[in-house]
Amino acid sequence: MNRTPKMLNSKVAGYSSLITFSILLIAWLAGFSSRLFAVIRFESIIHEFDPWFNYRATAYMVQHGWYKFLNWFDERAWYPLGRIVGGTVYPGLMITSGGIHYLLHVLNIPVHIRDICVFLAPVFSGLTSISTYLLTKELWSSGAGLFAASFIAIVPGYISRSVAGSYDNEGIAIFALQFTYFLWVRSVKTGSVFWSAGAAISYFYMVSAWGGYVFIINLIPLHVFVLLIMGRYSPRLLTSYSTFYILGLLFSMQIPFVGFQPIRTSEHMAALGVFVLLMGVATLRHLQSVLSRHEFRKLFFVGALLVGATVFIAVVLLTVFGVVAPWSGRFYSLWDTGYAKIHIPIIASVSEHQPTTWFSFFFDLHILICAFPVGVWYCIKHINDERVFVVLYAISAVYFAGVMVRLMLTLTPVVCMLAGVAFSGLLDVFLQEDSSKRMGSAMSTIPETEDQEDSVEKKTLYDKAGKLKHRTKPDSPQDNGISSNLKSIVILAVLMLLMMFAVHCTWVTSNAYSSPSIVLAFHNSQDGSRNILDDFREAYYWLSQNTADDARIMSWWDYGYQIAGMANRTTLVDNNTWNNSHIALVGKAMSSTEEKSYEIMTSLDVDYVLVIFGGVIGYSGDDINKFLWMVRIAEGEHPKDIKESDYFTDRGEFRVDAEGAPALLNCLMYKLSYYRFGELKLDYRGPSGYDRTRNAVIGNKDFDLTYLEEAYTTEHWLVRIYRVKKPFEFNRPSLKGNERVFPPTNFISRKNSKRRKGYIRNRPVVVKGKRTLK
Amino acid sequence: MFKILYLFFFALQCLLCTSSTNAEIINTNVERLLDLSSQLVKTTIKISAEETTGKPITEYVFLVGEPNLSFISLKDDTEKNIQLRKNKELINGEQSYTIIFAKGSPKKSFAIETVSSKNIRPHPEEIEQNDKQLVRYNGRLYVYSKYKTVVQKTNVKLSSANILSHTQVKPYTVGSNKINLGPYEDVEALSEQELVIHYENQTPFLTVNALERTIELSHWGNIAIKEEIQLTHAGAKLKGSFSRYDFQKEGRSDHSAVKSYKTYLPASASGVYYRDTNGNISTSNMNLVRDFIELELRPRFPLFGGWKTKYTLGYNVPSYEYMYNDGNKYQLKMHLIDHIYDNMVIDEAVIKIILPEGCTNVQFSTPYQISRRPNQLVHTYLDTIGRPVVTFSKSNLVESHISDFTLNYSFEKVSLLQEPLLVSGFIYVIFLFTIVLLRLDFSITSHSHKE
Repeated sequence: MNRTPKMLNSKVAGYSSLITFSILLIAWLAGFSSRLFAVIRFESIIHEFDPWFNYRATAYMVQHGWYKFLNWFDERAWYPLGRIVGGTVYPGLMITSGGIHYLLHVLNIPVHIRDICVFLAPVFSGLTSISTYLLTKELWSSGAGLFAASFIAIVPGYISRSVAGSYDNEGIAIFALQFTYFLWVRSVKTGSVFWSAGAAISYFYMVSAWGGYVFIINLIPLHVFVLLIMGRYSPRLLTSYSTFYILGLLFSMQIPFVGFQPIRTSEHMAALGVFVLLMGVATLRHLQSVLSRHEFRKLFFVGALLVGATVFIAVVLLTVFGVVAPWSGRFYSLWDTGYAKIHIPIIASVSEHQPTTWFSFFFDLHILICAFPVGVWYCIKHINDERVFVVLYAISAVYFAGVMVRLMLTLTPVVCMLAGVAFSGLLDVFLQEDSSKRMGSAMSTIPETEDQEDSVEKKTLYDKAGKLKHRTKPDSPQDNGISSNLKSIVILAVLMLLMMFAVHCTWVTSNAYSSPSIVLAFHNSQDGSRNILDDFREAYYWLSQNTADDARIMSWWDYGYQIAGMANRTTLVDNNTWNNSHIALVGKAMSSTEEKSYEIMTSLDVDYVLVIFGGVIGYSGDDINKFLWMVRIAEGEHPKDIKESDYFTDRGEFRVDAEGAPALLNCLMYKLSYYRFGELKLDYRGPSGYDRTRNAVIGNKDFDLTYLEEAYTTEHWLVRIYRVKKPFEFNRPSLKGNERVFPPTNFISRKNSKRRKGYIRNRPVVVKGKRTLK
Repeated sequence: MFKILYLFFFALQCLLCTSSTNAEIINTNVERLLDLSSQLVKTTIKISAEETTGKPITEYVFLVGEPNLSFISLKDDTEKNIQLRKNKELINGEQSYTIIFAKGSPKKSFAIETVSSKNIRPHPEEIEQNDKQLVRYNGRLYVYSKYKTVVQKTNVKLSSANILSHTQVKPYTVGSNKINLGPYEDVEALSEQELVIHYENQTPFLTVNALERTIELSHWGNIAIKEEIQLTHAGAKLKGSFSRYDFQKEGRSDHSAVKSYKTYLPASASGVYYRDTNGNISTSNMNLVRDFIELELRPRFPLFGGWKTKYTLGYNVPSYEYMYNDGNKYQLKMHLIDHIYDNMVIDEAVIKIILPEGCTNVQFSTPYQISRRPNQLVHTYLDTIGRPVVTFSKSNLVESHISDFTLNYSFEKVSLLQEPLLVSGFIYVIFLFTIVLLRLDFSITSHSHKE
């Protein structure tokens, strides 16, 4: 009697862990393979812009070692300023892939670092789904966890940042985020130092990986704070938060880029405040055990108010006196969405910093966004310490995702978790029917489920098995009252929804998020063949092979990382937009006339200018379409020279045809984009100089360049590179000795190098340090 | 008296013999074919030599007379049993070869082929985008020889009919794209006269600056070949700006710019890739022609004079076509270098042959002299002790150098099992470790947390 259930239990446990294991494995594989569209369609290549820098930095680290990387001064960026890379990056990404590279090479597996970088994000998506499973299991049940793990493996909101080749911080940071939260929830539940120290270590990894760690260091204190307000203080909370905070603080300060920020900036002050508050509460609790109840209540309120006020005033005062830095601009823009547009055009110019549209919520999350409130409601209904956390997580993430498209990424995991809770709750109700009768038959369904290929169906059926424990409980409240027909209809409907979700995810991944954006492909409508436009790499490779090694290339900042990564040449500005005035100077050069910009270019030692021009093939992301941002950013720093209104027509239109504003038709960007384009006829009937992107015949067709010459233009005119002439090349032609009317004399100035300037006797000689070799 | 006279004559004859042993060979007829239609100078010289005194000729010294000699050989249709030997010392600053005849006879005729690179120079050195490439050849009007020549003539083949100027020593005739010089009679030994031809030559002047060819051998049936190629357009440099508009408008193919070229691969080649440091180069076509694969390679950008590019080309071939074995003895026979483009010039080639792990007794023979580099070890997938690598280099190569090398080594077949055993052992250890680990209890407290 006693033995059979035990055996059955162990058997069930064995099966359920097997099922859990296989679902997680399948989720990993599904997540991994659905991120490979770009690799299969194109090749194993790094995508877009920022990943190119990360890749370049990783390659540098692999080649030169960790300490060289930490001290790396990159003289190929931000000419003539340079960039201290070691101190201005989150090195977690580079260390992760560098570590994998090292490990593989120790085992004699010679994988190229590029392939590791390309496949890092898909591999980590599997780890993310495992940590999401763990977190959801802590919050709700393992069935919900499996749902959540399967959701996050394929949800577009996360895939958008983690397709193969998208080698960016977010790829590993979401894993670190989820894992930190899991360890934190575990530590709050158990009150064990072990788990909270684990959370701190995981937080350390997160800090090293992504600037989004600020989200953790504000959300966890918020959780603690709300728990305190709700009167859910416990010694477990004290142990876990104090351990986490102290260790996390010390760890996070080890990252060079973060440095002393955790004790100096406003973003981190909430954590400190909550720490102090928690200590205060703990003291009061201790006093409570000593004092009588009435005395204590008084003391509590007074004490809490006092401590709160003191902390607040201290923070304000410290901010006023400049010990603690105020909120940075990017954080302001999180509260006031109009802030960036007015004060920091460079932030506003990035499309991923725009507010999110309703459309993209559905596009990225599909039915999860509908199921998500249900999960929140379930959590609120059955509230406990850790569910408070997930509710707070949900609310804050929804807010941030609404403010910036980019922060959709932090919303996605919590949506997956709560949608998992919702679906699991739904199936709890509708799959109850034969729980008591079909103890054995529940197990007999397992082999069937393994045969089925469709992962969505698997999820639900596995989930059923995962729920076995719940079902064996004697009194389920909603056990009766639902007809079996209704149940099967609902189950079918849910299955349909999940199937459509899977289809939607694959479709979105395949169509929207799997383009490397440095290789463009289009389908020929006539014969259906696929053509590849490889102009970017064509131009970058031309630069790398046929220009001097120290040539300086001016382009708009979007292309800085790509030029550095693929052409290995010095750039003036790049995607790490830390110096607004430098970018404004480049913007000014682009928006001035050729003559004026020549002055700027010579003062910046520019050798080549690179512009992106999509008029021939109708590529809309080109420099003319970005031009107004250049003007705006330039105007911000040089309001006397550049005025945005000059570039519009009288009627306030931005047009490139004959009616366009004269300032636009004569600026450098216009000339470089359209040089000799006026002669080009794209088809036999149309006029020459017809711009396909803006659907207009260009206004200024016949002009010549004085100060620059065309150095290279790619096959589809997408990238145009111009060489900046040296002063003697256009000003006066250089004459050889024998052609001169006045032949060069043999006169040699007696002022040799020492005497050129006149000198002071007994002047102390400055001995300069020798330049150290690399 | 007679005896004295006889002795006197004998002495005289000996004196004559010793003083002018070589001079008694004369070239009765020399015909030279000078092919200047590509970037290479290819000459075929037919020499008929005669020993005036009727003695058999056993050795004939041939002077090269051209700088940058890449390749020299005796033409096939001449006698089999003659050899070509390079002389160490220079004669009048020129390289020389000795032709050794196994069977001596007073009259000999033979043909020698030479190929030399970089003797045709663009002139002017810089041209604009739409200009034609003009080149100048500086050579010798007379075949440079140690011996006196009775009659000689030279036929020059050019790439186009557009000849701007050439050395005019009568008699000569000029055809549509050829010049016939001579016959010139009684040319003294070692006589020099310059030959200059200035003409239009639009053929691609590509030079491979560095070739690194890696041949990786596997006993599982595959040979992987990878060639890293650094290429320069060595013709007239592009002056001024490049204009895509003009380049597209022209459309004609007689630019000096190189848009594409063809590489021939073995017919069994599979898994061909063409890439550079930025990834795959998507512009190439592969056609299977009867007994080889024709690969049309387009560099990322058209190569104008002075422009460079660099790429990697790789493919696999099945090993049964190139590998022979007898018990533990194996032999590999493959091309030392392979075709890159027609009339190619390779400045420096480094060839690496990676043998399977555990190869011993490596012996190596090549059809021409190469310089061996120290052997290395390479560690790749599932290697423990590393694979031996045979490395060697050779400079100034042309198409005629495409020929087989032979590599002999011995290999125990049992070692093939090493890698599968390694993998299965590793997985076994992992499972064992997991089984043991899950049965251990590491908790420091007695109670366990509730799940």
